Amino acid sequence: MKRRGQGLIALAFLAPALLCLAVLRIVPAISAVVESFYTESLLRGGRVFAGLGNYTDLLSNQDFRQSVGVTLLFTVLVNPIQVVVSFLLAVLFTQKAAGARLWRTLVILPIATPPAVSAVIWSVIYRPDGLANGVLERLGLPAQPFLTSSGQVLPSLIVLLSWIGVGYWMLFLIAGIQEVPVEVREAALLDGASAWRRMVSVILPLVRRPLAFVLVADTVSNLLVFAPVQILTKGGPNGNSNLLMYDVYTRAYAIGDIHVAQAEVVILVALTLAIVAGQFRLLRGDQ
Amino acid sequence: MQRKLFVVPAAVLAAALLVAGCGSSGSSGSAGAPAAADSGPASGTITFTGTDNAETYQPVIKAFEAKNPGIKVAYTQIPFDQFNATMQQRLSAKDSGIDVYTVDEPRVSQLAAKGFLTDLSDLDDQVKTKVSAAAYKTNHFRDKLWSLPMWNSTQFLFYNKTALAKAKVPPPTADPQQRWTWEQVEAAGRKAMQSGGAKYGLFMEQPEAYYQLQPLAESLGGGSGIEGDDALTPAVETDGWKKAMQWYGATFASGLSPRGIGGFQTGPVFSNGQVAFFVGGPWDLKIFGSSKIDWGVAPLPYFQGGKPVTPTGSWSLGINPASKQQGMARKFLEFATLDATGNLATTSTTTIIPANLEAQKQYTPKMDAFSGAKTAGAAAITAYESEHTAVSRPVSVGYIQFEEVMGKAFADIRNGTNPDTRLQEATRQLTDAWKSIK
Repeated sequence: MKRRGQGLIALAFLAPALLCLAVLRIVPAISAVVESFYTESLLRGGRVFAGLGNYTDLLSNQDFRQSVGVTLLFTVLVNPIQVVVSFLLAVLFTQKAAGARLWRTLVILPIATPPAVSAVIWSVIYRPDGLANGVLERLGLPAQPFLTSSGQVLPSLIVLLSWIGVGYWMLFLIAGIQEVPVEVREAALLDGASAWRRMVSVILPLVRRPLAFVLVADTVSNLLVFAPVQILTKGGPNGNSNLLMYDVYTRAYAIGDIHVAQAEVVILVALTLAIVAGQFRLLRGDQ
Repeated sequence: MQRKLFVVPAAVLAAALLVAGCGSSGSSGSAGAPAAADSGPASGTITFTGTDNAETYQPVIKAFEAKNPGIKVAYTQIPFDQFNATMQQRLSAKDSGIDVYTVDEPRVSQLAAKGFLTDLSDLDDQVKTKVSAAAYKTNHFRDKLWSLPMWNSTQFLFYNKTALAKAKVPPPTADPQQRWTWEQVEAAGRKAMQSGGAKYGLFMEQPEAYYQLQPLAESLGGGSGIEGDDALTPAVETDGWKKAMQWYGATFASGLSPRGIGGFQTGPVFSNGQVAFFVGGPWDLKIFGSSKIDWGVAPLPYFQGGKPVTPTGSWSLGINPASKQQGMARKFLEFATLDATGNLATTSTTTIIPANLEAQKQYTPKMDAFSGAKTAGAAAITAYESEHTAVSRPVSVGYIQFEEVMGKAFADIRNGTNPDTRLQEATRQLTDAWKSIK
């Protein structure tokens, strides 16, 4: 009886959160899945059940297939880069060195800039007559096209997104490194382990847990990248930065085909879950 | 370790649901929303949404509020780049937070078909006498009137007098009979780059917008890009389109025009004196007035052997069928468009041509003096173009998709993609996008 009473109280406390979860997340998700099976003609009007029609349309669409390819390539590149750089920065900024706190603040600062503002800043940096080419010129290097070239657009976006993201993910890793017991580190020092050895054989295994979190959360957030694409490249040149999230947006609100867009959302969620499930498998295998 | 990792799957699930949530919203309504029977309260605040900055509409709102005590108008600006998508999103969600909104004329058909506009056909007779025939026509869809024309537009060739003088190039005249060709502009632009101190020869204000690029293809007889009885057949691979795009792509490849500068960054390139020739609209007549360089205006060029064609059309005003204040919204709409004083007030801050013919008559002569001697000739150019060379953007239910697909094609051509193959791809993309409309 007492137990049941406790359960009810817990439920009452959880109710607002559960309600929000249902209204803001689960209902829209179900509606997206349902709507993805329908289609609507603008000239004839009326919503018609289309079965898997929207999905087959998408899969046979060249632009969609390219978008999946670009998204996968982006995912494969951006996540390892961001995780490795965040980890190296975290190791660096947990050393006792002059000004470590100041440097740390500088690295974290971009988090406080909204993604849209960061994108605008970088649009000026990447302009043909912008800051980046100014620096290259000073160094005696040729000017680069950056966002206007099919080959450089994705790397340019990766640099921009890492500028925003690396500081944020570093925070989790710094917290992890600071939890490594001092005795362990001192023992390694006494044994005469080199700095490299200490990082790879002592710190790395001991921060595996926050590292796993960072990898998975970073992957998900990078699969949802939208603002910089919308502001800087509109998916171009030639669709080479047309990430899925932006493609969904174009289909839904620019092209105005909400049903196919919802089918694409379902595919994006499935892709995200598959990638993350894969990451879990790999991480589990390490134990 | 495994146990403590439980936070992660929860985070992933939440993120996954977030993605799903983003894509869902109400499905759009069926064709042709009926006029709301209930006109709502007679006093209160109506909301008005558009792309221009708030100052633009201050005079008309002030005049309207003075004339209609008890009604207030709150204006919300959504930047041009995001306007269409945001409106699509809010209108399809039947958001009653928008009463009146600006409608880009070629989009009238699709917005009406989707049920995003209130039928205004009872004003038909009034509109017919008060605006030009072209404006009257573009605001119709399926024989009904859906929006009221507020503004009209045209394009000018702005030139940097200092750079041309330095390069010893005689500047173009404002006389439409002695209109320059693009070939002349290109040659003069190159000279200004070599010895006039200009960084670029030529630049368009909206380098990836159909509105500005349609005249290039039309000048060569390439057509609008849309054909067929239902206006849902792509025709962007005509000789005119191919030639126009080859020329356009080459202006960037050769450095005559800059890549990678877009949106709000284009105007300053001219007002800073970095470019010799700039293609812009009537709004620039005043904006460039604060520039330190000396400049002038000339008619929009055409291709040698082709014919002069200029863009036209601008924003109309429409009413959201989901608005619960139809009566007040309509009062404001009529004041800002059909009332000459009200319509004129919409053009007093941002210099754009009023669509109301009576307002236009009072307005056009003043254009010559918008920026002192620099804008001399602008009035005569405007009058000439609207009578002889103006070509509207095509009326099609598929215009929204068309503009989107073509915008991306122009961006790619600008960045160096082969124009012929890119236009071919655009045809395929249009066919795909229009499949869902038919």
